[in-house]
Amino acid sequence: MIEAINLQKSYQKMQAVRGISFSVQPGEVYGLLGPNGAGKTTTLRMLATLLKPTGGSAKVAGFDVLRQPLEVRRNLGIVNGGMKVYDKLTGYEVLDFFGSFYDLWGPKLKERIAWAAELLHLEPSILNKQVRQMSTGMQQKIVIARAILHQPQVLLLDEATAGLDVFARRALLDFVKQYAGLGKTLVYSTHVMSEAEEVCDRVGFIDHGLLVFEGSLQEALELGSGNLERAFIRRLEEAA
Amino acid sequence: MNEILIIARKELLSVVRERRVLFTTLVLPILIMPLLMFGPILLFGNAARQTQESVQKVGVVGVPTVVLEELRKARVEPIEVANPQEAVQNREVQAALVFENGRYIIYGRLSGGATQSALVVEKVQAALRAYKDQVVAEQLRARGIGTDILEPFSIETKDASREQERAAGLFAFLIPFFLVSFIQAGGMPVAVDATAGEKEKGTLEALLAAPVPLVQVLLGKGLAVFVMSLLSTFAAVAGLLLGGGVFRNLFAAQLQAVQNGENQAQLGGALALDPLGYLAILVTAVLFALLIIAIMISLGLYARSFKEAQSYMSPLSLVMLIPLLFLQFSDFLKLQDWYFALPLVNVMLALDAIVKGAATATQLLITWASTLAYGALALYLAYRNFQREDVVFRN
Repeated sequence: MIEAINLQKSYQKMQAVRGISFSVQPGEVYGLLGPNGAGKTTTLRMLATLLKPTGGSAKVAGFDVLRQPLEVRRNLGIVNGGMKVYDKLTGYEVLDFFGSFYDLWGPKLKERIAWAAELLHLEPSILNKQVRQMSTGMQQKIVIARAILHQPQVLLLDEATAGLDVFARRALLDFVKQYAGLGKTLVYSTHVMSEAEEVCDRVGFIDHGLLVFEGSLQEALELGSGNLERAFIRRLEEAA
Repeated sequence: MNEILIIARKELLSVVRERRVLFTTLVLPILIMPLLMFGPILLFGNAARQTQESVQKVGVVGVPTVVLEELRKARVEPIEVANPQEAVQNREVQAALVFENGRYIIYGRLSGGATQSALVVEKVQAALRAYKDQVVAEQLRARGIGTDILEPFSIETKDASREQERAAGLFAFLIPFFLVSFIQAGGMPVAVDATAGEKEKGTLEALLAAPVPLVQVLLGKGLAVFVMSLLSTFAAVAGLLLGGGVFRNLFAAQLQAVQNGENQAQLGGALALDPLGYLAILVTAVLFALLIIAIMISLGLYARSFKEAQSYMSPLSLVMLIPLLFLQFSDFLKLQDWYFALPLVNVMLALDAIVKGAATATQLLITWASTLAYGALALYLAYRNFQREDVVFRN
């Protein structure tokens, strides 16, 4: 699970995240929704221990992000839209490389690769191709496969559908629901409301580094008279 | 440790897949080193030999007939010219000779390095000297004096250099330069790809999200750069030794003609070191590689992109020219032990001294200890850079 309490991140002249608190339970997909520059990526990077919070605290899978970063990373996977994997390596080599950091070797690694490939509808033969020879959607699937290979308890998806065609996007959304169904904890960050509406159980609206709304998807929909986008705009306007 | 090897293996695998990088770091040095070493010598040697053997036009003004005959004997064709300086400048003639008021003036294009004109000037000078000796001898004979009066004693110069220094020849100067250059050039593509390249391609974040301490990521990347640096350097040395052998066999006649009885130092030389000497070169090169790699990784991590990283790292080659200049004049300096603590300069001086068989234990120890200290400092700076969020996410 994830528990963020008054999480903050300041740079020299700017406060990117100004005290965010939320929690996500196992089996739940939490939608972190906000416009560009709202602080979604910074929040997720703090949870993934890529950035150090300048205030507040957060626990991921029971481990403190500041004090136990390696334990957090062992129990977490992260995917963002701009994330890529090594294009000169084959899909299999990429997964072998990242799997080895989680003690996945030999038959166990093969078993996990097969599991991830099935979940993401990846043809086994594609894994023998170099990443640079794959389509964008296929490359993104390798990025996701890398993130879930160790079956992390927590998965952070940040604008993960960016640049994907309709088929790859559909596969990803199906995957999110399936992965949550395994009892995993997911944070799904996006500014595409229709995606959030489809996969999230609870949502938080973030703007200028602050969480301006948090509630179940149903509550959010009610706020916008059945329309998540309307609820989002209304809440952000009220908060401004 | 395992993670370091895994990361290094991945970096090397990426290099192996990039044929262009493989060619420039491993194949090109093997091909280019013999050319660099022997090409100019052969080219200049042949040109010089041809200049000696063929006939060149020389402008003359007021030169006596007897001297004109001497010039022809020296394989030079005298041509009357109105303005000797202009004729040489316009390349109508390779040199010009003017006789006025009992004085010979020779014109030639003597600036801008080795010129054909300079070789022709030498031919003219030799012809004039021979004629002068002949005139002096005749006048002495006319007075009943023998020519041995001109040489009351003989002068002989002997090379008192150490055996290694004599054998090394050009190597003494080139080995330090090539080692240092190839260590940097061989490691640079991997250093750029593993740092700024990862940032630009968007692969670094995935790696940093893995449960691997930053220091191990850094050391893994450093190890890959180190391996490529050394492989590139070994390729260069192999090119020098193997290619040199092939070159010597293929162009034996030409090289012999160029050599013209001189010692083998003219043709690049050969290392004549004991095993400890080779070991000393290896230790110096390895420590230097650690220093340069740490600097390159630090710069690469700071850069946002390939281009920016290359623009930071390329000036390193120019920086290395400074100690090389130092090395050229090292013989005129009284080498102090503390010179061997100066970064980069120390490595050049130490390699030069090892190749010449003149290195002392103190000099080597100071070089190794200081290079190790500089390397550790550079590695620490690279690690600090890697810890900085504003640097890692700068793209």
